[in-house]
Amino acid sequence: MRNILPPWLRSARVIIGLSIIAVIALCAVFAPLLAPHDPNEQNLLTTFLPPVWAQGADSAYLLGTDSLGRDVLSRLIYGARVAMMVAVIASFGAMVIGATLAYLAGYFGGRIDSLIGRAVDVWMSFPPVIMSLILMVGLGVGLRNVILAIVIVDWTRFCRVLRSEVLVVASKDYIAAARLVGFSHWRIITREIIPASLPLLITLVSLEMGIAVIVEAVLSFVGLSVSSQTPAWGQMIADARQYIYDSPWNLLFPALTIFFAVFGFNMLGDGLRRTLDVRLTAVQRV
Amino acid sequence: MMTGVLPLVGRRLVASVFILLIVSFLLFVVLHVLPVDPAAMSVPPNATLAEIEAKRVEMGLDRPLYVQYGIWLGQVAHGDFGTSIHFRRGVLGLVMATLPATIELALLSMIVATVLGLAGGLLLFHTRGTRTEKAIDFGSILLLSTPEFLWALFFILMFGVALPLLPFTGRLDPNMSLPAGTGFLLFDSLYAGRPDIFWSAVRHLIMPSLALGIAFSPTIMRVLRSSFLDVYQEDYIHLARLRGLSERRILLRHALKNAILPTLSLMGVQFGFLFGGTLLVEVIYSYPGLGNLMVDAVRNADLPIIQAVGLAYCVVVLMINTIVDSLYLVLNPKLRLR
Repeated sequence: MRNILPPWLRSARVIIGLSIIAVIALCAVFAPLLAPHDPNEQNLLTTFLPPVWAQGADSAYLLGTDSLGRDVLSRLIYGARVAMMVAVIASFGAMVIGATLAYLAGYFGGRIDSLIGRAVDVWMSFPPVIMSLILMVGLGVGLRNVILAIVIVDWTRFCRVLRSEVLVVASKDYIAAARLVGFSHWRIITREIIPASLPLLITLVSLEMGIAVIVEAVLSFVGLSVSSQTPAWGQMIADARQYIYDSPWNLLFPALTIFFAVFGFNMLGDGLRRTLDVRLTAVQRV
Repeated sequence: MMTGVLPLVGRRLVASVFILLIVSFLLFVVLHVLPVDPAAMSVPPNATLAEIEAKRVEMGLDRPLYVQYGIWLGQVAHGDFGTSIHFRRGVLGLVMATLPATIELALLSMIVATVLGLAGGLLLFHTRGTRTEKAIDFGSILLLSTPEFLWALFFILMFGVALPLLPFTGRLDPNMSLPAGTGFLLFDSLYAGRPDIFWSAVRHLIMPSLALGIAFSPTIMRVLRSSFLDVYQEDYIHLARLRGLSERRILLRHALKNAILPTLSLMGVQFGFLFGGTLLVEVIYSYPGLGNLMVDAVRNADLPIIQAVGLAYCVVVLMINTIVDSLYLVLNPKLRLR
């Protein structure tokens, strides 16, 4: 059985991570089919219903209802849309920018390298939460701007780690040989260096997706993400925090959902790091 | 020993000032492409268009962005960070009133993170190759997947609502007043001889600092473990074994000295992130620090505050990085040669 699987999949962590992400992704794609209720449908007669296993529950609302009588489960399912969209698009955006700069810095070195290094230094002096908050003030709210803000903040995570990897690869003999043969810089980077650093890149994207989920939740928690018409996990937490004594469940469910999403991406990243044999020291992971 | 270190620290400080200038310019640019008009917001609502226009000229908003930045920088150099649009008070005073609370929280959280991180790293390394290590390693992924604001919420649910053991709003019990002084409550209350206030402040700090500290400890754990693994490959460890030293002495007196270095440089970065993480924890615990000031300012589009608070975060992060780097130089003689 095990031999049927490709090598990168032969790890419990990869399988667990992928399964969790697959469930969330399916929820996001098929939200209208899966959700038992309209996520924005209010019913002021049935507010703060507990989940079905608690006393006084209504079996029509599996995870209960919030302060406006909206179905918590449906909102969680629809919230997966924003989370997954941000996770996928923002981390690929950050990867493209960060990786491009890392390849340029690591391959050409010299002035380009020190310029990009300075930029990373400037970025590092900004705590990511503060920077994304300020960017959201500057850009204005909305899904597109959340994604843009995450890309602008998090490209450095790719750049820092990948640059040192590229430095190592670029000093190898086969790269020198490729240069002697007369290959163009473009060809050397795309055909010789990128394949060598691909496992690291894949691992980093997976970890970044988890970070993007957190950042989106944080921004929607402080009310700077999508509009209140679109269900988002962070927003659900912000709503529930005001009624923490009326219904602690309302706070617990979105918090657990965020945890599982991030856990899925981290398990996948950690598993891939092992199966793809990435020599990623822990300093680089941060 | 210090003579070799000081010029390097000095160079680091100069670089920090340079970075700060760039950061302040970027902040300025980002906040001035905003779709809100600060001039219209700082005049009474019944002002005429001509009055708003006069205000624009007075505030220098009709001039190019880099000129505006120059004016702003000149004012900042004289300690004038502008006036809050919402509070109608000097921004510097507002920031200085809230900064000590945030630093107090951040320092305590860093202590928590350091203690948990080092202990966890030692434990991970000590149990290497056993089942316990696999369990702890798995646990560290669980920890890694729980950001500080989730810890803050879980703690409120556990120790604030389910088992009401600890308070979870503000810095003090409502019937107590802040003692005058530095703004660092733990210090001020002791200095004023008020153990009751000290105790209340400690109780209010337990949950926020644990939430932050736990969230930032797993990375420290994992780095310490992997640098121990690296160090144990070195010849001097084998030599120490051959000399018949005890495993405990090798670990703590020989290996730790080298293994702590990568961990320390990581902790500089981590503490920068941790300082930013205080924002969320402050919002969740209604803790009156920089973070709450910032979030309120964002909601009111209060540009002078956002600008000054953003800068304050950067100044503190750069200070933390400089301190950690200097410590690194003191602890690692190899770097002092250059």
